[in-house]
This record gives sequence, C-alpha cells and structure tokens, in this order.
Amino acid sequence: MSPNAPTGGRKVFTPELLDRCISCGFCLPACPTYVRTGVETSSPRGRIDLMRAVETGVLPDDDATVQEESSFCLGCRACEPVCPAGVQYGALLEEWRDHTWDRGGRRRVRLKPLLWGANRPWRLRAMGLVRRRTRGGDGDGPQLMLGCYERALFPKVSRAARALVPALRVDPGQGCCGALHAHNGDLKRGRELAEELGRRLDGTILTTAGGCAAHLVTVLGADRVRELSQYLAEADHRPRLTFGAADHPGPDPAFAARRPRIALQDSCHLRNGMGVFRQPRELIEEVGEYVELPSASECCGAAGTYSILRPRDSKRILDDKLDQIEAAQVDFVVAVNPGCLRQLQTGLKRRRSSVRALHLAELLADHYVPA
Amino acid sequence: MRADAGALRVYAQDATPLFRGEPDVVVLPGSTAEVAGVLRVATELGVPVIPRGAGTNLSAGTIADRGGIMLVLTRMDGLVEVDLDNLAAVCQPGLPTARLGAVAGEHGLLYPPDPGSRTTSTIGGNVAENAGGLRGLKYGVTRDYLAGCEAVLATGEVIRAGGKLVKDVAGYDILRLLCGSEGTLAVLTELTVRLVPAPEATQLGLAYFSTLAAAGRAVSRVLRGGVLPATLEFLDATCIETVEDFAAVGLRRDAGALLIFGQDGGPEGVARDVTRIAEACEAEGALDVVVAQDAAQSDRILEARRAALPSLSRLGRVTLLEDATVPRSQIAAMVERIEAAGARHGLRIGTFGHAGDGNLHPTVVLADSGEDAVARAHRAFEDIFEAAIALGGTITGEHGVGLAKLPYLERRLGAEHMALLRRIKSAFDPQGILNPGKLGS
Repeated sequence: MSPNAPTGGRKVFTPELLDRCISCGFCLPACPTYVRTGVETSSPRGRIDLMRAVETGVLPDDDATVQEESSFCLGCRACEPVCPAGVQYGALLEEWRDHTWDRGGRRRVRLKPLLWGANRPWRLRAMGLVRRRTRGGDGDGPQLMLGCYERALFPKVSRAARALVPALRVDPGQGCCGALHAHNGDLKRGRELAEELGRRLDGTILTTAGGCAAHLVTVLGADRVRELSQYLAEADHRPRLTFGAADHPGPDPAFAARRPRIALQDSCHLRNGMGVFRQPRELIEEVGEYVELPSASECCGAAGTYSILRPRDSKRILDDKLDQIEAAQVDFVVAVNPGCLRQLQTGLKRRRSSVRALHLAELLADHYVPA
Repeated sequence: MRADAGALRVYAQDATPLFRGEPDVVVLPGSTAEVAGVLRVATELGVPVIPRGAGTNLSAGTIADRGGIMLVLTRMDGLVEVDLDNLAAVCQPGLPTARLGAVAGEHGLLYPPDPGSRTTSTIGGNVAENAGGLRGLKYGVTRDYLAGCEAVLATGEVIRAGGKLVKDVAGYDILRLLCGSEGTLAVLTELTVRLVPAPEATQLGLAYFSTLAAAGRAVSRVLRGGVLPATLEFLDATCIETVEDFAAVGLRRDAGALLIFGQDGGPEGVARDVTRIAEACEAEGALDVVVAQDAAQSDRILEARRAALPSLSRLGRVTLLEDATVPRSQIAAMVERIEAAGARHGLRIGTFGHAGDGNLHPTVVLADSGEDAVARAHRAFEDIFEAAIALGGTITGEHGVGLAKLPYLERRLGAEHMALLRRIKSAFDPQGILNPGKLGS
C-alpha cells in the first residue's frame, strides 16, 4: 500500500496540481484518446499516474510509454470540466511536455522552424508570413491580436474582426502569444512571449483564436483578454446582424429564400479552459439555423501542432467529425480558432464536400450592418 | 496485450485511495473465446486474473495485489440488441452504463440503476459489484435489472444463466450469485438487462431540518404515508457547509440536515406525491421546504447532492469514502455514532447518502497520507462498521468488499458463512486464480 498522492519529488510538477487527482476515473469518457483505444495509459487518470511516476523517479524520462503518452494526448482539456476534484490537466500537460520533450531527446524536428519563426516578430516578417503591412487602426477599443500564423493563413479573419469592431486598434509589429511554445514543451518561452505581448498591447487584448485566448488568460489574467465571440456577445459590443431582410439580403443569393444551416466546432481551450461555448452559438443563431453536431464540443484533431506531429491520429479523429458534418447536412461549419479552421478546410476539401468551413468572424462580417 | 512499465503502473490503481498493486501483464480481450483462452492458461499456470472494467470501484476490488493478469474488458463494449417486445437489452460487459442509458432513452425506456460513476463505469463492472445508486429505494439496484448472462468459468468453460425471462427457476440462481461476486467466481462476457418505461415527469424538492434526527423522522413519515419517492437523499451539517464553501449552490448554512426528495411518473401523480412529501417534512418541523417549479430548478437541487463528495475532497489530499448501511429507521442513530467516532479519533467526518436506503457515505478527508492520519481514519471506520452491525446494518451497501473491506467481512457474516463463501469459491475456481485475496478468500 502506498499513498496515491506523492509527497516530495523531483519538482518536475507543481505538487498542488499533481496531488489534486483522486483517481475517480470520471475523466475517462471525456477523453478522445481513451474513448478510441479503451486503454487507460491513454486517459487523463492514467497520464497523471505516469506523471506521478516521473515525479517520483519510478519511471525514467525516456520511458517509451511516458514519451508516447505525452505526445498522443491531444491537450484538448475535455477532462477538466468533468473533473469533480478540479484538476488543472492543461497546466500539468504543459509541465510534462516542458520536462519530457526536452530530456527525451525527441524534441520534434518538424516543429523547430514553426517555433523558431514565432519566437521573434521580425522572423515572422522575414519568413514572408506578414505579407502586407497591416494598417494600424486608430480607434480607442481593444487591441487586436493578429496571431503569428493566423495572419498568414487567414488574413481575412482579422479583416473581418476589424469590420465587426470598428474601434479595434491594430499594432502590426506584435509577435506571437507563446501558446505554441507552451503547448509544445517550452513553458518558459511561452510565458515570456505572452508577457511581452501583454506589455506591448495595452488594455484589453481581443483575439480570434481560442487557443491563444486561453493561453493569454493563464499568463495575463482573464480581465486583460477577450476572445471575439465572448466580446461580441457582451451587450455593449453586440453588432447589428441581419439575414434575409429586404435592406440587407446577405451576400449569398443561395440563401435568399432560406436560412443557412450552420454547425460549430468548439475551440477546446476556449470551451474547456475558459468556459466560452454559449456565445458563438448565440451569434450564429442570429444569422442562420444553428445545428449542434454530436461532437461539437470534442476536439477536431488539429490540437495545435498535433496534426503536424501525429497526422495519422489526427486524421482518425477528424474523419469521425467529417462524417457527422456531412450527415448533418449543413451549409457551413464555423470555427473559432485558426488551427481548427485549417483542419476542417483540409478535411472537407479532401472529401470534395460541399460544406464550407469558415471562421466565425467571416460569417458574422458577411451579415454585419454598419451603424 | 501490454507489459510495458507504464501500462503496469497505470493499471495498478482503481478509484480507491491508498491501494496499489501492479499486475504482471495487462490483457484486453476482444471476444468470449479470447477470455476463455486467457483463463485456461491462467488456471494451468496458477496465475491470478483480475477482471476489470473502467476501474471506478471504491473498494480496491480490482487491485492486483498479488500480481498476475489484469483482464480489461473495455474493448468488448458492444450493444448486441435492444428488444422492445421483451423490454430487455443485451450487451457486452465493457459497454459504458451511460451509453446503455442513452440508448434506452432513445426508445422511451429507462435502465434504472444509476451509480455515482455511471458516466464512466461499465455494465460488466456494475453487475460484478451489484452497483446501487440514487434510485435504489423505488427502483432497486443492478441485481434487480439483471436478467441473464454469459460467463466464463476460471477453467475456461462458458456457461449461460437466465435470459429475457421474468420467471425462470431452472436450477440454482447462479445469475444472482454472479451478481456482486466481484470478479471472484467467473468473468462476465455478456449481460441481458431489463428496461422499464421511462417516467414522463420528474420533480424534486428539498427540506432543511435543525437536526438529522428530525430529517430521519420525516423520512419515516413519508414512507408510512404511502409514498415511495424516487429520490430521497440527505446531507449532514458538515456536508452542507462544505458544499456551500466550494460549490456555492445557495444552501442554508444554519441547518443541521438537508433532505432532497423527488418523485417520477405521470405528471399528476408526481405533483401529488411531491406535495405529500413536502407536507410530511413540514409536519416534522422542517425549517424550510422548497419544491422545484421547473426542470432547471430540479437540476440545481440535485447539484447540491452531486457536489457533496467533490466538495469534501477539496478539504485535503486524501478522501476516504465508506458506505456503511443500516435499516433506514436507524439513520439518525447511525450518524450520531459516526460523529462520535470522528470525535474519538480526532477526525472531522462528513456524512451524506441515500436516506431511503439507509445507505450512508461517511467521508474522512485527510490533509496528507501520513501513517498516523491514515491509521486514525481506519480506527474510526472500524468503530463505524461495528456500530452499523450493532444497529442491524452492514459494512457495505453498494461499494463492495474488495481488498478494502475483507478484514471486516467476518464480523458481518460470521465464521460459518465465511467458510461457505470459500466452498462456493472453490467450486467455481478450483485453482483460486480469479481475483484472489478478495471475496471467498
């Protein structure tokens, strides 16, 4: 008989975080990797037990199961809302990767250029990711976070955000928020970058990326950060949206006679880390018929860099989701995080699906009526 | 099959605090034939086999304290059929309880047993533990909904018992013997369970009392008055305070006890019964009675009960939960003795549980797992078990015996009864390979 809670250890983990788990197993059905394998090493309870083994030195850092499970985990944090003991799994996972991915000597080669580029704003520019100098807004509203890769992959998203929130301020010289680093084994740099961004952008930081929002909240606190849907759902910021009205029929003639059917893919960290999931649904309802997918709240497999690191596992999770999207016969599927958007677009294109994936900002901007 | 150090480590625990034991190998069979193959080999070699579902039991019932094969049945999670004519479902043991509940609901049916772990637990695990839950008083427990099974004996033979039948007296009641046998007699590989029509309406309410004794009298008055409530749960003063501290659901902190009641069925009958329960509470001097006006309010009331254990667990690092059970007329007396045991050993014990079943969950929360604190908790639980037996009760109502309560079992059953258990065990499992060191040892 030995106690569940380790006392004293190698200081890999914050003891209070690791001690919280009571091993009840309530997290098992919420975990996408457990549900797909039925094996407890691939569950939050199991992974926390592996972390405890690393903490006490029972298992070495380069143990194959420890390495595999720290990477197989999507980091979606779906285990957090269902945990009766309030375990902060996301924070534990960051500490785990910070320790294990460095020491195991398997720091992912494929990630290096990504992290290196996002490390300094000038590198992003040098890599040609910032194609055009973004015009700085002159409003007195919140500061728009451009996102290190979002601005390159989805420039329309920040344009849409600026249309929806005319008072937005935009600082084109800003860098990465550090979420990418924190989730991939470099917790220190992840915090530094968030702090840097917090100093550079004064006041409220508005972001169109759920993953970045949750990371910034962790470092800067909830009062400094708003995710777009969270901001727009607040009474004072609600944009005037319309659909099908005679004065503003919407851009797509296909929906002149009927409301489009629209599904949502939650952003895991936005939902599980910040508790924001009601807001995007409310906003979608204003411009179309909202359709809840059975797995709307479950990870799409993008999971930050997961789709790059573990393409096969990522695709397996995405395929289940795409089946549901097609079965639901929707016109659009909306994402609130660039990683999810890219994942859905890639998957739908591969299937030659007629469903279009777009960011919530783009959907709303199409139906926005300027004051 | 897994034999890596990480997997052995992870499968060394279940939901019971303070117990660990690593298996030598973890096997995840995909069929009855594979289960039989594993058992034949294990019997031949004399290797322990510990059958396991989702590992949510609270009695250390799936701890491999003697090593051996951890036989994990989560891959066998199929739903074979829902038979609407016979109101039955046939499934494999790894099917999650919640999924069975959801499928039954789609057909307007209900699978009544709802143990606290129902979102995670498997049907096979529920049957092996004869799991209870919040609907025990009106609907009964897992045993009452088990109609048939397929099981593999330790020596590899496959037997079937029961079926989609209401009546069946052909042979000894092996089905009931296997239900609650905690994986010590056979490995369940298919289950047939009964379903019932889902109630149209549900309504909940709550009543505060100055003492638990008054709440206990109210329970007796309700039942004597001819109402059989679907829900009848209680929280003591410690639980009320802790729930408010951590979950802030808006409970009155000045109350000595909280009774949560509810009824389900046709809408008119439900409204009538809930009014009668509320009146009975008032007649026993309730400080305040609240009846939910809609589903959302009902949900909030139940939240107070659901929050009891998680809230208590935040008081310290180790949460020890027991489930001593007494005739329901003795609840107040039992809670008094629990409090006395706590005082004697310098522990604060919060008690909540199923008032209608007399099933109590005295909960000790320790600041750490130091030997002294754990020893004091064990002494307190020993006093609590003694008291339960003295009041005509038992050492466990629904959590099972497992490793955790085997030392107390003889006090409840007596030496002759224990010897009979051992003879039954050896008839099923001559080599003693199935979950050794637990029931029947």
